[in-house]
Amino acid sequence: MWSIPSYLLAGMAIYGGIGWLLDRWLDTSAFFPIGTVLGLVLAGYLAYRKFSR
Amino acid sequence: MITLTAPAHGDGEFTAPTPNELFDLAPIIPGVEWFTKPVLLAVLSAIIVIGLTWAAFSKPKLVPRGMQNVVEYGYMFVRDQVARPFLGKDADRFMGLLLTLFFLVLVWNLMGVVPIAQFPVASHIAFPAVLAISIYVLKIYLGIKHQGAGGYFKNMMFPPGLPKPIYLLLSPIEFLSNMIIAPFTHAVRLFANMFAGHMLLAFFSMVGFWFLFEKLTPLGAGVGVVGVVMTIIFTGFEIFIQFLQAFLFAMLASMYIGGSLHAEH
Repeated sequence: MWSIPSYLLAGMAIYGGIGWLLDRWLDTSAFFPIGTVLGLVLAGYLAYRKFSR
Repeated sequence: MITLTAPAHGDGEFTAPTPNELFDLAPIIPGVEWFTKPVLLAVLSAIIVIGLTWAAFSKPKLVPRGMQNVVEYGYMFVRDQVARPFLGKDADRFMGLLLTLFFLVLVWNLMGVVPIAQFPVASHIAFPAVLAISIYVLKIYLGIKHQGAGGYFKNMMFPPGLPKPIYLLLSPIEFLSNMIIAPFTHAVRLFANMFAGHMLLAFFSMVGFWFLFEKLTPLGAGVGVVGVVMTIIFTGFEIFIQFLQAFLFAMLASMYIGGSLHAEH
């Protein structure tokens, strides 16, 4: 239960990082926030599946 | 000891103590750069923990009395709340480590409210970082020993019970969380709590000291009284937080070890 914060941080870091790289590559600015939110949602889903049993 | 409160600035204005004044302490013996107050307190804490457990368990009796009684309560607490929920039947093997961790971190933290000492050792990040890195190394060693190198990472990155395509998205999160973020938050959680708590206590006692002793004015006295009252309240709150953080630190260590011993099903 106490590892949920590190899941959320990891999710935001990974998908936010991918978004940031995409932004640099494609010269846009939308993928970084999208990636951050997507990572948060995925990490939340992972935490939900792991700890709701 | 060095200064008990942050030094007054002398220009007649109240200024809050800054982190530099509070945490960047001069060496106790001039010239010996590494020997600062937190180092002294860390050594002292280790001696206290060794002394306590020695006094309690060197000649254990079946019916505990005195010191053995007190420390046995601590042992039972660690065993029932920290070790058994995560380690199950392996709990007794790791009690030595977990008990030491819990007592050491607890004494480190309590140094923050002990008069004269008044410095939580863990508010210098090096101290919790060393403990967290030790646990991290132990976690990976035990994981590879008990589940095999491939099995350990497979069990970690692919928790069972999820739809197949989702693994592509979630495995990187699991890996980053377990391998990098978890030891980091393990250390930072303890460090940040102690750092912030020490800042709060220093600020409120500074308010009380300044408005009641340095610059006593009819209007300022009320503020000073508030500062003193808040110092007392927050000292009580700090003791609670210090206990909670020591418990959490040991509990997370136990959780990581437990996760390495058995794969999650």
